[in-house]
Amino acid sequence: MKRKLVMLLTAATMVVSLVACGGGAGGNAGGAASQAAGGASSQESGGAEAGGAEAGGDVITLKVWGPQEEQALLQEMTESFKAQYPDKTFEIELGVVSEADAVSRYSEDPAAAADVFAFANDQLRDLVNAGALYEVEREADLAYINSEINALAIDSATLDGAIWAYPETADNGYFMYYDSSVFTEADMESLDAMIAAADAAGKKIFMDVSNGWYIASFFIGNGCTLSLAEDGTQQCDFNNAAGLAAAQGIQAFVDSSVFVTGDDSVFTAGLQDGSIAAGVSGTWNAEAVQGALGDNYAATKLPTYTTGDGTQAQMASFGGTKLIGVNSQSAHPAEAMDLAMWLTNEENQIRRFEARQIGPANIKAADSDAVRANIALAALALQSQHAVSQKDVGGAYWTPAEAFGTTLEAHDTSKDLQTLLDEMVAQITSGQ
Amino acid sequence: MQKRAHTEGIGFLRYFVKGDLLTRLSFFLMGAGSLFRGQIVKGLLYLAIQAGYIYYMITFGAFYVIKLPTLGTVTQTKEFDPALGFSVIKPGDNSMLILLYGVMSLLLGIVVIVFYLMNIKTAYVNQVTLRAGGRLKSFRDDLKDLLDSRFHVTVLTLPVVLAAAFTVTPLIFMILMAFTNYNRDHQPPGNLFTWIGLQNFTQVLYGNPLWSNTLIRLFLWTIVWAFFATFLNYIFGIILALMINKKGIRIKKFWRTVFITTVAVPQFVSLMLISKFLHDQGALNTLLMNLGVIRQFIPFLSNGMIAKITVIVVNLWVGIPYTMLISSGVLMNIPEDLYEASRIDGAGTVAQFFNITMPYMLQVTTPYLITQFVANINNFNVIYLLTQGDPKSLNLYQAGETDLLVTWLYKLTVNEQNYSLASTIGIIIFVICAAVSLLTYNRSRAVQEEDQFQ
Repeated sequence: MKRKLVMLLTAATMVVSLVACGGGAGGNAGGAASQAAGGASSQESGGAEAGGAEAGGDVITLKVWGPQEEQALLQEMTESFKAQYPDKTFEIELGVVSEADAVSRYSEDPAAAADVFAFANDQLRDLVNAGALYEVEREADLAYINSEINALAIDSATLDGAIWAYPETADNGYFMYYDSSVFTEADMESLDAMIAAADAAGKKIFMDVSNGWYIASFFIGNGCTLSLAEDGTQQCDFNNAAGLAAAQGIQAFVDSSVFVTGDDSVFTAGLQDGSIAAGVSGTWNAEAVQGALGDNYAATKLPTYTTGDGTQAQMASFGGTKLIGVNSQSAHPAEAMDLAMWLTNEENQIRRFEARQIGPANIKAADSDAVRANIALAALALQSQHAVSQKDVGGAYWTPAEAFGTTLEAHDTSKDLQTLLDEMVAQITSGQ
Repeated sequence: MQKRAHTEGIGFLRYFVKGDLLTRLSFFLMGAGSLFRGQIVKGLLYLAIQAGYIYYMITFGAFYVIKLPTLGTVTQTKEFDPALGFSVIKPGDNSMLILLYGVMSLLLGIVVIVFYLMNIKTAYVNQVTLRAGGRLKSFRDDLKDLLDSRFHVTVLTLPVVLAAAFTVTPLIFMILMAFTNYNRDHQPPGNLFTWIGLQNFTQVLYGNPLWSNTLIRLFLWTIVWAFFATFLNYIFGIILALMINKKGIRIKKFWRTVFITTVAVPQFVSLMLISKFLHDQGALNTLLMNLGVIRQFIPFLSNGMIAKITVIVVNLWVGIPYTMLISSGVLMNIPEDLYEASRIDGAGTVAQFFNITMPYMLQVTTPYLITQFVANINNFNVIYLLTQGDPKSLNLYQAGETDLLVTWLYKLTVNEQNYSLASTIGIIIFVICAAVSLLTYNRSRAVQEEDQFQ
């Protein structure tokens, strides 16, 4: 919104300059026209460059978006990218946009968005529907992805049979961190055993149930599904018998004395002051958890939980990846693809792991002692057997799911579970 | 107004009938009536405006104006390029840019029309002046006039231009968005959006039960919030100011400073800290539990009803110092003899408060109250920084219990990319604010008895 305003203001400034100095109008308007036509005309010149018709003189400007924590790394990577192509002059501009914000920032002004940008794979469908991405079609790129990237990551970048982006990391998921002085490995098999152990030790178990991302764990673990219909509306069966049983399981957990909810800061603060002994979170918290638990730092897959039917169900998770896409409005698509390839190649995935402890999507990069010895990534790998891709989860899912979790956490029993589930599913599937 | 425009229109026709060759020529060639009569610079300026606008329209504007009725028809396509090994994307129309530049070009057109009419009038005036044997104003004379008899034009030009460019143009653009289907399913650059008339309004007012239900509930809460946030702050601010100003209270400056320190910390910092402080696992709950006062945490921000009370109370803490400052000033202005006279008549403190202080305060501060009320309807900061509109509810569409209409609007744009619905709600909020302000403002004593208060 704010960005759009800025854009409007700049556009408005143009009007001012037009009105203020009628004589200069021609020049100004001409500039604006060439700017607007820039998409089309430079498209052709982009093609010409890649076709080799161009002498090395022209400057190729590329804009890259990445998260704040990765700026220094991106700087290094783009420098080495430039060194790869000594015959071309690149001007690479870095911008801070987190993977989670990519869609909303992109849609503010596609033409002004980055040529190459990182995004979380749950935004893939929105981006593809908006016509925002170049499909990965070049043979060399496809060959690399198909042979060196792990299957889950490829699947997360695939939509309607086509690959739309370059997998960068395969670590966007959650699992269970725990304090090994409180829980034994056997305790970690089931939620009931964990609750008993935590209760005995007077500690709490953290899970942000009022968050669609985490609460889905119970439903999907008990066989419910989220999918998208042909017309793009969200399908959800969380209100069937299995969903009700899952919801009863959630309620039992939430109502137990050891349950605690909140955001990441609650979790890490609780670990530090010793009130929390286990929690569901992801690799981004690994450092903080390790710092708080020290030698007792441990992590594993999520446990099983007792459903309303009395059966044990393995808690599932969303397995997400981060992808690098090429903007369909890019003036230099070929070079942008080269850069996206470069940022996701084996060498740079290893560098990313070394710098930030992020799980590589590249099979060879992930196949190192350092990666295997990483407790959080090992737990993630264990959980990945029970993980589902997030790409069939549309935007309509999150808010109603959060509202449902909030109601449970508030111990609000004014409506029964089935009614709540029906209301949630009605909102999720209501289209829009 | 209309009448005047009417006669003016005829006036311009009369100029054509009565005009000589040069005057008539300036109907087609701007500046002709000045240029060929010796006002070279003025004539050239008019001509430049005409040439510039025509050039602008041909190279840029016309494309967007022509596309404006449909908001674009050409979708993005791609074509496989064997040399490159991938399909090159050919951009199609971008409905958003068409809307934006279309509106801009039209507004620019209006400005040019104004200049066009000015040019005709100048031509005719010149003709008449010359026929009467007078001397035409040179460019230097015109400039002198701008500093003398037409000084208001000089002073007002910049503000008017800026207001038109930075306020009116974006506003029209945003308002028009409410009549399109610019939402998640119609995102540029891959898709086009188009005009759908009043559909958004009918949907949000009654067509879509979930939307209209959300609108009504959030509207009611917005009004409740604005009422309490405005009047509680006002009353408590006055009481605080009275207490501090009361005779016999020592170290007044100290008390005033103590209460004003909340203003010294930036509002968003204190709000975010309070939000952490009141969290289910936050400092206050932990403290109370450790002290044994409560066994379960109090859901200050996670229970709909309690969260609503919390935001109002926290807002008191943030807002009272401001009202205290303002009312201190006004209170000191109340003539002391009024109080003295009432004391002689036997009035107590309470009677004085209701019969002297409050009427006086209300008369002076009604406009302030109205501004505050409207500002609170749109009080994004307090709500968003404190609760982000949470706790979420299944009864609401993409909103939480403490969401105001304005924070709902924000969520619809940022999270949902539903710009058309957000714009619709923006218009509805505007209508509400305008109605409330106009009604109360015109009925307020400060306006009706403006001349009486001195």
